[in-house]
Amino acid sequence: MADSPKDKLKYSILKVIDVSGFKVFDPPVRLIFGEEPQKQIRDIAKYMLLPILFIGVCILAWDIIGPNHKTKSGEVPNPAKVLVAYSDARRFDQREDEKNHAFEVTGSERKSEVKRVESKLAQLEKEQANLQKKSSEIAQAAQKSLDTQLAPIQEKYAALKAKNESAEEVREAEMEALAEKIALKEAQPEKLIALLKQATVAEEKEKEAESILKDQMDLIRDNPPEEVKEAQLVTNKVADEVQHHKKLLAILTKENKSVKEASLLAKAKEDAEQLAAATTGKEVLKEAKSIVKNTERAESTSEQSYPRTATIFWQTRRSLATVFVGFIIAAGVAIPLGIMCGLNRIFMACMTPLISIFRPVSPVVWLLIFQIIVGAFFLPDPASHPLFVFMNDSLNPFSSLQTNPAMIFSACTVAMCALWPALVNTALGVSAIDKDHLNVAKVLKLGFWSRLFKIVIPSSLPLVFAGLRISLGVGWMVLIAAEALSSSDGLGKFVWDEYQNGSSQSFANIILACFVVGIIGFFLDRLMIILQRLVSFDDGSATA
Amino acid sequence: MAFLELDNVTVAFGPATNQTVVLKDISLEVEENEFVAIIGFSGAGKSTLISLLAGLQQPTLGEVRKNGQLVTEPGPDLGLMFQNYSLLPWLSVNDNIKLAVKTAFPKLSKTELAKKIEHYVKMVKLGHAGDRKPHELSGGMRQRASLARTLSLDPEVLLLDEPLSALDALTRSELQDQILNIWETDKRTVVMITNDVDEAVLMADRIIPLTMGPEATLAQEFVVNMERPRDRQTLNDHPEFMRLKSEITSFMMQINKESKAFSSNQVVPMPQIRPKDFTPISGTPRLKTRPTQPGKPKSAA
Repeated sequence: MADSPKDKLKYSILKVIDVSGFKVFDPPVRLIFGEEPQKQIRDIAKYMLLPILFIGVCILAWDIIGPNHKTKSGEVPNPAKVLVAYSDARRFDQREDEKNHAFEVTGSERKSEVKRVESKLAQLEKEQANLQKKSSEIAQAAQKSLDTQLAPIQEKYAALKAKNESAEEVREAEMEALAEKIALKEAQPEKLIALLKQATVAEEKEKEAESILKDQMDLIRDNPPEEVKEAQLVTNKVADEVQHHKKLLAILTKENKSVKEASLLAKAKEDAEQLAAATTGKEVLKEAKSIVKNTERAESTSEQSYPRTATIFWQTRRSLATVFVGFIIAAGVAIPLGIMCGLNRIFMACMTPLISIFRPVSPVVWLLIFQIIVGAFFLPDPASHPLFVFMNDSLNPFSSLQTNPAMIFSACTVAMCALWPALVNTALGVSAIDKDHLNVAKVLKLGFWSRLFKIVIPSSLPLVFAGLRISLGVGWMVLIAAEALSSSDGLGKFVWDEYQNGSSQSFANIILACFVVGIIGFFLDRLMIILQRLVSFDDGSATA
Repeated sequence: MAFLELDNVTVAFGPATNQTVVLKDISLEVEENEFVAIIGFSGAGKSTLISLLAGLQQPTLGEVRKNGQLVTEPGPDLGLMFQNYSLLPWLSVNDNIKLAVKTAFPKLSKTELAKKIEHYVKMVKLGHAGDRKPHELSGGMRQRASLARTLSLDPEVLLLDEPLSALDALTRSELQDQILNIWETDKRTVVMITNDVDEAVLMADRIIPLTMGPEATLAQEFVVNMERPRDRQTLNDHPEFMRLKSEITSFMMQINKESKAFSSNQVVPMPQIRPKDFTPISGTPRLKTRPTQPGKPKSAA
């Protein structure tokens, strides 16, 4: 085989595609290298364009059907609204970054930052004023046109009302007269009752006519013209920016770490001067106390970090961290246990009842059990428990995750539910070793450990990884529910909070979270497929 | 006393009340540096026999002895080459051999180890494929790698369990020559299981047929009195080769017949049935007339 470098490149790219399980991208790569273009184009049309078209149709159907379904939390958001929710989440995250920076920045950099924010704020305020003016103008104009639209209907309505009132008066008078006559026994009471019935029918009719006009007016009032809405939106956006920059400025000038520290130290210095000037023992004691207090506070300030508000991105990172912790615990327990089960039939017989009984237990039950059992380790004060002190120390790279007991409970629940597939598959993989390979081990007189590491484990690895893949999938699914229930910060809690707070965007946020969960789940699965293919010793075509 | 001995060995499976006897009363003596071929039909219990010799299985009755000592467990001195290669698929050829060399020579330094591996890989002409995984090799190459692994144990006895039966004819003859070459330069005791008469006559000093199972046993041996090295090209014209081949073949066929008769010795007489005569009575069939439709009464002519 005399492969040209181009061919080599092609085959290595194709190999990567194959291992990662993205077979779909095979035809385009071949097309780029000019291999049987017609066949590749046909394949692309069949296996790429048609699916893309199908997805497009699905999104279109969502776009059309969704908004037609009215719910108590507003209509079902369409794709555009979900995208807006995403960009809002991005902006929110960026602002948190900026605030964090404003909190940390020191020295001349801070001064230049203050200048920058101040000028930006001035510019924004100017813009805001302009926009407000413009928008109020637009609103006035709209109001005018609204008034002109409403005027004829209002007139009609007033006329109708007057007419109806007079008609009613006439009816009342008529009935009163009739009642007088009946009292004098000049007429039959049946007549009055008939008249009353007629009056109710007439009144209803009149009311209906009135309400039609009223509805017409309401419709006009409730739907202000698009330009008013747009102007309002633009104004709100700028107002939002202004708000943000004001907050930034406040952080830069008042809450900033270095500023706070400096002011505390300055106070301490002042105290020291006063101490030197003090004449009575009482005063000296007071100043000394103040010095100690202020220097201590300055020290603790220097260790502080900006208290970020949770964003969906941070929640996602936390969820990923939780699922990996749970997954690693699950793998660490399941693989040794599975190997023992596979090697020893007695051990397997002992484990089978446990596996059969605990595997079907719902994650919710596990979560509650772990909250009680594992929670006991963190009593009485979880915040001062060495684990959390260590994890949340500002020097620890994982301190941004803000590890807390709820996170541990969620991770334990994930581990408990993700344990079983890995355990069962490992046991299966170990017990299904080729008899000939065991004979080889006997002929080669391998000891227990070298038999384990040279024969048993390598031979069962493909099945072990197949099990781990299922475990990770299960873990990710369980995690979202566990987070929602234990209110451990993460995607699950994000969804739950959005459901509870019911702002205009929460429905869109829930759908956004749904996509985030799905896409991350997809990539986790791919990751496991790649690992599985790398450890399988045959061509690995059986895994897809 | 012979080097490798099977002494009245019987192998049976199942509970004592309902035993299936696979091998019965087998006695075999193999001298040092002798090449013995055991020939038999598939299912006769050949693999059980070689497992006994390798120590992978213990006889129900009787003894297996090597050098006068009882064989109770497998080990590198009884080098078994498996029928279906049994290379470890996650290791390259070199690493497969390394595993064996480390067992046989646990105290080698790294360079000596590498040298030894290279020696055996080159012996089976796999020098170019040492880094490949088994699934990247052809059947013949895999079997050669398996042979190299067995040889690298430096066994006193080489046990070959149908080593070539999974290979195509051309690869097979090439490997036969290689095994013979290696054996002739580096003499040792060989017991080979085969189902190919030509192969047995070409390679072995003695050929012992195994009768059909169950209760298979060894039949009368055939001694191959042909000078070595034997030349494949002229073999077909060798009178001794022709004689042995036809004798063994007819013997094996006879065993097969006996066994078949044994398994179904009851002859069921078939009833004599004469085929029914379908020719029309009125002479030649008339092709043009259509059969009358059922249910439709024929109008009276």
